[in-house]
Amino acid sequence: MAKRIARDGVLLALALILYAVEAQIPSPVPVPGVKLGISNIITLAAMFCIGPADALCILVCRIVMGQMFAGNAVSLIYAVSGGLLSYLVMYMLHKAVTHKQIWVCSVFSAAAHGVGQILSAAMVMKTTAVFIYIPFLVCSGIITGLFTGLCAGFVIARINNNIK
Amino acid sequence: MMKTKTWIAIIAVLFAVCAVMSVLIFTRKGHVAKVVLDGRVIRTIDLDAVTEEYSFEVRGEGTNVIRVRPGAICVSDADCPDRICVAHGWESSGGAPVVCAPNKLVITISDEDIDGVTF
Amino acid sequence: MSFSKHMRIIAAAAAGVLIMTGCGAKEHDAAFFAMDTYMQVKTYGNEDVSADIEELVRALEDDLSVTDEQSDVYRLDHEGEFGVSDDAYELIGTSLDISRRTDGALDMTVYPVLRAWGFTSSTGYRVPAEDEISSLMEYVDYRRVDISERTVRLPEGFMIDLGATAKGYTGDRICALLAQKDITSAMIDLGGNITALGTKPDGRPWKVAVRCPYEEGYICTLDICNMSVITSGGYERYFEDEDGNEYCHIIDPASGHPVRNGILSVTVAGENGTLCDGLSTAYYVMGAEKAVQKWREYKDHEMIIITDDNYMLVTPGLEDIITVTDDRYTLKVIDDED
Repeated sequence: MAKRIARDGVLLALALILYAVEAQIPSPVPVPGVKLGISNIITLAAMFCIGPADALCILVCRIVMGQMFAGNAVSLIYAVSGGLLSYLVMYMLHKAVTHKQIWVCSVFSAAAHGVGQILSAAMVMKTTAVFIYIPFLVCSGIITGLFTGLCAGFVIARINNNIK
Repeated sequence: MMKTKTWIAIIAVLFAVCAVMSVLIFTRKGHVAKVVLDGRVIRTIDLDAVTEEYSFEVRGEGTNVIRVRPGAICVSDADCPDRICVAHGWESSGGAPVVCAPNKLVITISDEDIDGVTF
Repeated sequence: MSFSKHMRIIAAAAAGVLIMTGCGAKEHDAAFFAMDTYMQVKTYGNEDVSADIEELVRALEDDLSVTDEQSDVYRLDHEGEFGVSDDAYELIGTSLDISRRTDGALDMTVYPVLRAWGFTSSTGYRVPAEDEISSLMEYVDYRRVDISERTVRLPEGFMIDLGATAKGYTGDRICALLAQKDITSAMIDLGGNITALGTKPDGRPWKVAVRCPYEEGYICTLDICNMSVITSGGYERYFEDEDGNEYCHIIDPASGHPVRNGILSVTVAGENGTLCDGLSTAYYVMGAEKAVQKWREYKDHEMIIITDDNYMLVTPGLEDIITVTDDRYTLKVIDDED
């Protein structure tokens, strides 16, 4: 148990570092919800190498702590709903893909992240006008998900045997 | 397990469909800007009728400064954490609404369905 | 934005497809400059009556213009007695009725004073001396317009101007013309005086926006069918003197001075365009309190009064069809009774 907490803690710290690094990179397109999502590499690694429970734990802690450092109460709602929907998709797909297809799982979860954010944004802002951004966020999610998925694939290939 | 090729095909189709939809959406035209704060329309501006550049402040969850000039509108300053609304820049045609998600602010531009204006 | 709105967008798109495939009503657009303003009439139907509409408006302008030397009104003003056309006769009669029911707040004989302030000519605005105004006020009294047997007679020095009701009347006449031609759907925009005939071709009500005083925004929108919506506001045309005093183009017939009473604009909606047009001016002159009393007395129309302390006073009949689109103004529904 202690080992588990220590290991997940290290992964959480890594995820937060990646999150902080990404926050310093200005978004190339000023559309709410578009981001590279490199901290998702950690979630993917945890999902495939450790298990869904640990991955969820790391994800939720990362979102809440990340928003505490940079964000407000409202942006926390968007982050949580985007994160949870992307986790859900990742969870459903992680048994359906091989270790060589981790990027597939990442692509769909990144797309789901955008959709989740927009859904909660529509509810919080009480307007359906933001739905317009869904196709765009799916496209950008496919691109960023591909990138983070491939990164995660490399990471997992290296650490797979040493992490448990 | 599905073949990688099948996955690529599915993703490619999804990408293509969404890309086409995005292009269609972002090239729409309009001239009536609606400033919506927390689901309430607080200002409606006919951008074609604007003659002078001016700005005004809206206060909700946070504060945004909205700037208007003939034919275009933008958020010129904001106290939100991400400032995506400010980075959006001037919006004139109407395809992409200016969104400040943390401050619950959306600016849409459309032709509305306003059939006439009385003055 | 609501879910139903999106359903409506889908419905509109479907209607658009229908129109493109030729199954729906065709849109015809008549746009021209007349009566000192830009006019646009959109009709939906198989027959294109744009030319008839323009012809009708030009004919009315030829009768009712106060500056055209050939017009009935001009000749009446300069000859003191004239056997006017049916249109001029009817409009003068209706305008006098509105003057009576508003205790003279609408007065077609205020023209000599309006002229003194420079609102009718291109020579420029001026603030007349008090003596000049009081001497001209002797020629202001709608009760002295004598109208009988197709002939109108004015006392010496009197002049009339039908500017406050002419466009409303024109809207009514266009509606009558369209009804004759079996057109049941049209949007008539006579320089900001709106008359909506029927509903939109897809069956939805017409959406008419009310302009924000002094700004380019819309203060609210109304969903209307078979209704005229006409606004009077000092912000449309005004000038300022060196001290920054503002003088608007609506003259109070009781004082001979531009109206200044805390009202920014009055919008009157109803089935009769002439009445809406006349009342919007009369109410603007009266001030909010008296206008509300007059409305309670008749209740044959709806209205929106926008005041300079940021209230929108709205009659109960509009409550369900109005959408406020500017949060600087507070909507207040007028009580039915005192």
